[in-house]
Amino acid sequence: MFMIVFSVGWVVIARFLPPPSPNLTGLEVADFYRSNLFMIRLGLVLSQASLVFYLFWVASISSQLKRIEGASPILSETQLIGGAGGCAAILIACLVWGTVSFRPDRPPELTLMLNDLGWIIFTTTFAPFMTQDFAIAWAIFSDKSKSPIYPRWVAYFNIWTPLLFVPAGLILFFKTGPFAWNGILAFWIPLTIFFIWMIVMTVMTLKAMNRQTR
Amino acid sequence: MPHDVGAGESAISPVASHLPGESGIWVLILGDLVIFTLFFATFTFYRGQSLALYTQSQHTLHQSFGALNTVLLLTSSLFVALAMNALRREADRTATGLLALAFCCGAGFLTVKYFEYGEKLRAGITLTTNEFYSFYYVLTGLHMIHVILGMGVLLFMCRGAWSGGRGPPRIVLMESGASFWHMVDILWVLIFPLLYLMK
Repeated sequence: MFMIVFSVGWVVIARFLPPPSPNLTGLEVADFYRSNLFMIRLGLVLSQASLVFYLFWVASISSQLKRIEGASPILSETQLIGGAGGCAAILIACLVWGTVSFRPDRPPELTLMLNDLGWIIFTTTFAPFMTQDFAIAWAIFSDKSKSPIYPRWVAYFNIWTPLLFVPAGLILFFKTGPFAWNGILAFWIPLTIFFIWMIVMTVMTLKAMNRQTR
Repeated sequence: MPHDVGAGESAISPVASHLPGESGIWVLILGDLVIFTLFFATFTFYRGQSLALYTQSQHTLHQSFGALNTVLLLTSSLFVALAMNALRREADRTATGLLALAFCCGAGFLTVKYFEYGEKLRAGITLTTNEFYSFYYVLTGLHMIHVILGMGVLLFMCRGAWSGGRGPPRIVLMESGASFWHMVDILWVLIFPLLYLMK
């Protein structure tokens, strides 16, 4: 649900995908907002609403990890904190973009600065998501029971995904090319992998919950 | 000789269908290979756009550093393969030694990288000097993270080999680690010609 609502709000309505180039001038950025003002505001409100689902999703993974860990649920709580941090980053990015759209007739330098801030928060935040991945992987590896909650390949999968968030850290260094915030290696691949990761974790968590109720 | 199986026979023998390590590790290995392939494709695409810049910048890389590192990683892979053989013969001490040697090769790789990066940085060449160097630092840097991770895996395997214990689960775990290290090796074997040699 998070993915659907966020995609509708952020991609379809606000048209934030593909991202506006980091190489744009303040005037061009202001034009981007002014030309589509109502839809951008509406899209950002919907994007924020989608985060409700994200938090429920994070918590349901943690409750499954807690079943593995039992009495000392360090990893499931780490996962929870990581999820909350990641959610905060997406939320703040939406709020900052919202601020840009609130007064699009600001001096262009201010528009540029706020737009940069929104995109940098959104695209370069990797630590909270990485924390979620490693906590999930570690917890699954420590599952020694005969019928594990998650299959072990999910743990390996959760080592694979954070390795590919690493290029997101390069976004600060580039304004054009494959490592900029609209580049294939620093943006498109991590974003795709993030969505694949969400689908995999959703399916596997639903399976684990079904087994639990049986 | 149990290993002396003809190519035709091995295709139907059960050994041929054996997947080393636990199946889960292959999610990581194949996933990594797919992503690095995307990186390589992107590199080749951008290189085609400004060939002169790439060829010119390539000349400043020292092939000897790259070649030395290729030898180090290939040797370490050989040690790991020998160690796996030793483990199957239950020669735990030998296996531990071989894995430690493989780890040392990894450390050697990092040392060479230290000097190579140091030399580049002293020459004022950084991540943003030009597009070729961006790719150079990112590809080798991402690979280096894999080497460091792999060295951790090798240490873990060393401990496993030293502490003994028997049975198939242990071999499967060791094979998983060995497969990961071989992947780190393969990636370098692809990165080296792409960055240092491709004409």
